[in-house]
Amino acid sequence: MRWPRVTLGIRAQLLLVLTVFAAIPFLGVAYIRELEGVLRNAQERELAGTAQAVATALHDRPRLFEAAPQWLMKGGEPPRDLVDAAVATRVMGDSGNDLAQILQGLTRTTARIRVVDREQKVIASAGTLKRMQDALPPPDFFERVMHPLYARVLDQPAEDFREEMPATISPSRREVMSALDGIASTERRAASDPRVTIVSAAYPIWVGDRVRGAVVAEETTNAVLAARNHAFERLFTLVLATLLLGSLAVTLYATWLTSRIRRLASDADTAIDAQGRLRRELAGSAARDEIGDLARGISGVLTRLSEYASYQEQMAGRLSHELRTPLAVVRSSLDNLRQTAMPADAHVYVDRAQGGIDRLAHILARMSEATRLEHAMADTVRERFDLGALVAACVDGYRVVYPRRRIEFVAPADPIAINGAPELVAQLLDKLVANAVEFSTEDPVVVTLAQAHDGLHLAVSDVGPRLPAEMHGRLFDSMVSVRKGPRDTEPHLGLGLYVARLCAQFHGATVHADDRADGRGVIVSVVFPFPGAAA
Amino acid sequence: MSRRIAIVEDEPAIRDNYCDALRRHGYDVAAYASVDSALAAFRTRLPDLALIDIGLGDDPDAGFALTRELRALSPVLPIIFLSARDSEFDIVAGLRSGADDYLTKDASLPQLAARIAALLRRSDLAAAPAAADDVIERGALTLDVKRMSARWKGARVDLTLTEFWMVHALARHPGHVRDREQLMREANTVVDDGTITSHVKRIRRKFLALDAAFDRIATVYGVGYRWDPDA
Repeated sequence: MRWPRVTLGIRAQLLLVLTVFAAIPFLGVAYIRELEGVLRNAQERELAGTAQAVATALHDRPRLFEAAPQWLMKGGEPPRDLVDAAVATRVMGDSGNDLAQILQGLTRTTARIRVVDREQKVIASAGTLKRMQDALPPPDFFERVMHPLYARVLDQPAEDFREEMPATISPSRREVMSALDGIASTERRAASDPRVTIVSAAYPIWVGDRVRGAVVAEETTNAVLAARNHAFERLFTLVLATLLLGSLAVTLYATWLTSRIRRLASDADTAIDAQGRLRRELAGSAARDEIGDLARGISGVLTRLSEYASYQEQMAGRLSHELRTPLAVVRSSLDNLRQTAMPADAHVYVDRAQGGIDRLAHILARMSEATRLEHAMADTVRERFDLGALVAACVDGYRVVYPRRRIEFVAPADPIAINGAPELVAQLLDKLVANAVEFSTEDPVVVTLAQAHDGLHLAVSDVGPRLPAEMHGRLFDSMVSVRKGPRDTEPHLGLGLYVARLCAQFHGATVHADDRADGRGVIVSVVFPFPGAAA
Repeated sequence: MSRRIAIVEDEPAIRDNYCDALRRHGYDVAAYASVDSALAAFRTRLPDLALIDIGLGDDPDAGFALTRELRALSPVLPIIFLSARDSEFDIVAGLRSGADDYLTKDASLPQLAARIAALLRRSDLAAAPAAADDVIERGALTLDVKRMSARWKGARVDLTLTEFWMVHALARHPGHVRDREQLMREANTVVDDGTITSHVKRIRRKFLALDAAFDRIATVYGVGYRWDPDA
């Protein structure tokens, strides 16, 4: 099965890896839920403890339950918000004095504590379900910004619910019934307001060996909820901030890495010119990390490549130099041989050997031409001359040199003055025309000189075999010859066009060979920069 | 008395071949393989002409030093450089160290012999008065074919043998284009187009040094050169 190729940059990859950290909030949620459970249990135990403590204080006080609270008989309407134990006591007279004192102390708890008799009538009540609003520290920036967002997803503790104060606690309340049966118990139930959950613990009050009533301690879960929400908010804010900062840092880091690698890649691409010469050092080679290693590695490869390229370029020159001495031995020996008495038929062979030696010498001379040209260029003086007139003069010359060929010149209307060495331009044109004459199968060879938007175009076009596609761009390298000419009398060393390139480079010009638009041959163009633009 | 020619060349096959050929031409030849042996011999007796290879032994420039030493011993002794190298730099360095001519080893033995004969003749006749029939006059240019010397507007132009032959080839038929092949043949040398170009450049420079307005040698691009007659 083939997967579609997706290209991901280093930045995208790192960010993708970073999504692993998105699991952190989920772990946090699980942890907070656990914490919430612990808190709830603690709350239940605390309530149970409170109920037990109050009940313990009320054990064996039969008088408590003898008189029904007056406010219950008189009004039937219990006070709305806070049932003050003292009020209850006043109504109940002396009999409630102890009770009042006990309950008085309990109003400071966060729980609502009620005492019921066996008929589940509320004898006394203290505290409220509503929590006192603590003086909160002023919200910081994150809380101000983030809290409204969290409020949308998290259950918020509601303190504005209606607190009911029934005179009788419903018999359906199991913890109360269970306490009246003598067993302490804790329950959790929904309040009449669905936003609020109430935890309630009941503990029996014993008089002798009979249960005469029960203490019911109740509390909303709001405190736990608030604690949980706070933990959630802190966690999410922290994780979010960390993730954001982390992503930012990773993105910046990846951008830095990417830009270094990009620069290295583009540098490596352009550090070597088309002829394999190293133009400059690579950026980032001084860095002490792996990318620095990479840059140094590439630098090394490129240096070796350029060394090889220059070796290749100089090879022709060196080879010709090395071959000269043995050639001189053969030549001088042949010359001497001619001066000695030879059988008549030996002359034929000496002549042949001489012919071979002459050709070899010719080849060697051409091989070292490029090297010599490079040396000669070093002290060539530039002058201003009319390119049009020069090309016209050259073409006149070619008509003399190649009398059987038709050589046409398409001249520009105006004189074109350029800065350079006329003899090098002439040599360049010599090579291009020689190349065209050699490889073309039909007349004419057309030399064109024209001004275009990007420079002066000097082109030589011929009719003949096309260029093999794989050789594009290599044609002007040393010792590369690609076209099979119809008249293969001269050796093809592929040095002619290389010499042409050297001459062009001297003028800041570029040479390229293309198949003609009509496909009938090849056009070699030299593009000179405009005189003003030339260095 | 036959003329004595010294050959300093470290390649035995070439040295022997040159010796044989020159002896056949009737010269007395002394061959040396190293700078030291050659100098020792030169201090005792100067040859009539020296043929010196530039690269001797391991030193690629030994010939230059030897030439300077030899030139110090005799300012007029004709010296020909012989080298496997033909770079512009070597030619200039060789001629500046005092050589009269420079020949690559591509040259044939007859070409070498022609050069040697010409140089010996030039040094023999340097003091003798010019005979009228040996002189070609082309306007301001006077060429003494026997002495191989050139004068421009009466002043002597210090040309090497190769340069003289080229000027001679050009000036003999003013207005006619001489292609590089012809110049090479007339100068008894085998060099490539680029070297011809630099020879011509050097010739022009020598004339220009005497006369800043010199413009007689015209380049006929793609073909060769031409001596422009007086206007």
